[in-house]
Amino acid sequence: MRKVFITGMGSISSLGLTVEEQLKKLRSGQSGIGKVNHFQSVYSESLPFAEINASDEELKAITGFAEKGITRTTLIAIKAFQEAIADSRLTPAQISHTRTAFISSSTVGGMCYTDALYTDANNKGEISEFYSSYEGSNHTLQIVKQFKLKGYTDTINTACSSSANAILLGARLIQSGRADRAIVGGADCLAKFTVNGFNSLRILNEQPCKPFDEHREGLTLGEGAAYLVLEAENVIENKPLYAEVKGFGNANDAFHPSATSDDARGPLKAMRDALSTAGLQPSAIDYINAHGTGTVNNDETESFAFMELFGTAIPAFSSTKGYTGHTLAAAGALEAIISVLSIQNNEIYPNLNFSTPIAGRGLIPVTNLKQGVEIKNVLSNSFGFGGNGTSLIISKVD
Amino acid sequence: MYIKAISAISPQLTYGDEYVQGDFQIHTKGIINAIEPNYLAIIPASLLRRMGKAVRMGIGAGLPLIKNYPAIDGVIIGTANGGLEDCIRFLNQIVDYEEGVLTPTNFVNSTPNAVAGQLALMGEKMGYNSTHTNGSLAFDNALLDAKLVLESSDKPMELLVGAVEEISDYNYNIDTLNKHYKTESISNEDLISSTTDGSLCGEGATMFVVSNEKEGAIAEVVDQFQICFPENDEIAPLIVDFLSKNKLTPQAIDLLLFGNAGDGRTDFWYNNLQKEVFPNLAIHTFKQFCGDYRTASAFACYQAIQLMQKHSIHGFEGQQPTTILVYNQFSGERHGFILLRKLPLAMKMEH
Amino acid sequence: MDISRDDLKIEFKQHLITYLNLLDVKVDDIKDDESLFGGDLGLDSIDSVEMIVLLDREYGIKIKNPTEGRQVLVDVNTIVDYIIANRTK
Repeated sequence: MRKVFITGMGSISSLGLTVEEQLKKLRSGQSGIGKVNHFQSVYSESLPFAEINASDEELKAITGFAEKGITRTTLIAIKAFQEAIADSRLTPAQISHTRTAFISSSTVGGMCYTDALYTDANNKGEISEFYSSYEGSNHTLQIVKQFKLKGYTDTINTACSSSANAILLGARLIQSGRADRAIVGGADCLAKFTVNGFNSLRILNEQPCKPFDEHREGLTLGEGAAYLVLEAENVIENKPLYAEVKGFGNANDAFHPSATSDDARGPLKAMRDALSTAGLQPSAIDYINAHGTGTVNNDETESFAFMELFGTAIPAFSSTKGYTGHTLAAAGALEAIISVLSIQNNEIYPNLNFSTPIAGRGLIPVTNLKQGVEIKNVLSNSFGFGGNGTSLIISKVD
Repeated sequence: MYIKAISAISPQLTYGDEYVQGDFQIHTKGIINAIEPNYLAIIPASLLRRMGKAVRMGIGAGLPLIKNYPAIDGVIIGTANGGLEDCIRFLNQIVDYEEGVLTPTNFVNSTPNAVAGQLALMGEKMGYNSTHTNGSLAFDNALLDAKLVLESSDKPMELLVGAVEEISDYNYNIDTLNKHYKTESISNEDLISSTTDGSLCGEGATMFVVSNEKEGAIAEVVDQFQICFPENDEIAPLIVDFLSKNKLTPQAIDLLLFGNAGDGRTDFWYNNLQKEVFPNLAIHTFKQFCGDYRTASAFACYQAIQLMQKHSIHGFEGQQPTTILVYNQFSGERHGFILLRKLPLAMKMEH
Repeated sequence: MDISRDDLKIEFKQHLITYLNLLDVKVDDIKDDESLFGGDLGLDSIDSVEMIVLLDREYGIKIKNPTEGRQVLVDVNTIVDYIIANRTK
């Protein structure tokens, strides 16, 4: 099977508008979580969020796309997409090639302006400019149109594991020979819909999230978009190979619509499948970028899964959601990029806001920037509602 | 990839034997609603109470297949919009109660992956699980995903693949703003011959058991192809190319099952392809049965397989096709093609 | 608010059936002292949130603290007592 390499990356999050900006914050330990400037909600004052530091108008100026009806989800997706294709030095011909696939993902999609949707869906009042942008895949369609994509296109929504599955599918398309190149990732912006949804389930923390801490009280919502350019080994000409997508596992917990099982059967299966497709033993993992949302349920289960899989030799791990918040569909790709940065720079970015290990688990994540550590293989986890869970293994190029 | 079994909840009596015996249900209300079975026979009341229409149709069509094919490993669903009714109900709560205390059930139901998640939960399927939401290509995407999963397995493997779409007042309103539906009153019986703008809104859940094993299969998904925003003259040569990649000429196709929707603005896509590549074949259509919705190509595949089984589908009397090309598009934006071939085995009815 | 305790129980059970969409369950099927969670009704944590919404919308009672919720949402008797003591509408 053909090897699949990462040759380009683009992302936008509360840490910055480019990968470079985000790397600086990851190193300096500065979180992107705080008070919002743009997102309007009853909870704007009372809850912390990880907001991208740019208004819709600013994003239109930055991306050069200002069409009527364009949503924030699409704008941040375009911003990260532009960075990824430029970073990989793809030519317009390569981008429009029928053997270049584009697989995106989103959960809130085009429904980011709750009040406009309310008016249009209920036939109340004037038609909003967004009336044709509400579909979950609208941002994909806009990118396909604007960048003249002619290859395979797809949009995935497996909740919080969405863009991890986009990476998995892109890798499989390339391995199978159906595509030579795949641009994969996802985008989600802050929206009343998701804020109130997670709030109705009582899993939003009133303080910035504290992944893997005994006193964690829930997640912090963030927004972001992230895309990676994956290429088959035989079509890459003289460009730097950032890392290899070596393994992946997708499994369903089949336990509860919005909670993970106590015995972590789904997460464990996803991690084991990822190791087996990569042909690696657990001991080969140097770092885990954990899902680590900061909810009572997830971190307990994920810790249990680490103990089951790695025994007493649990690799260095951290959740970077203390920096970026939970960016939902974008999280898998955003964290895959962070994993690549770890590999490239021989460093591990810390798990912020941790002080006390979870009782009965005792696991301690990396809490300070670690430098000068060789990272060959990273395990990156993404678990979500509907029992969906995906683990990726991203490796240093031999 | 091979298909072993099929099931559908649709605006026709597909849950019983009537549809394959030539029955045709007429819908005159403008919205072509699915005829839903009594779910309490399949779904425990304690679970059914929380399910929105998309989820319960998906479970109703998919769970019997999971029960009959215990080797099914995972679930892959295509749905453009998922549980939209719950989605907008939750949204209405947000606005009406000014982001106050809101009920979570609508939120949990509104996520498009709720169907695949519930099928995995109720069928205890821990294998590969994914949900594609790519508009009118979502089902095509689910099929290809399944094919990739099956190819990656060196052992015999079965998956449940399907599509679900529901009509709610809300998406009907939004799609009406986008001028997707006819403004005049028309029955589904007369839909395809209409030439005015728009179509009739349909819905349904269609499920397939697919496998990498030919044994026990009734049909083969030979290949599929998609293109977005094509130029008017771009599709014909691409389809000739697609067929030749599969070592077929246009003459090898013996039935065209196209998504003509009686929409005067977009039916030319189908008609042009027929004229240019298949001048000796008539277009057969499926949307008079199921209405127009983004993942209707799943229903087309269901109907194609029933035709291969020589069932008497209304208006298809005497047809015994073995190689069928399914073509569906929505708004001229995303175009999907699925090539199906009959296998000798006769199908057991699954209900 | 001039409603007897028995009538309030019936009213609450009707709300419970509506809010939780309890199919095939009638008011008489819900016993006053039957534990709502883990019993025949098969209710779970999402239902407890739905009940908090019910208490808010129908009786103007706000339960913020999950621990308080667990103490109140035991059976129909405990909930109705709580409604009588705390209702604001």
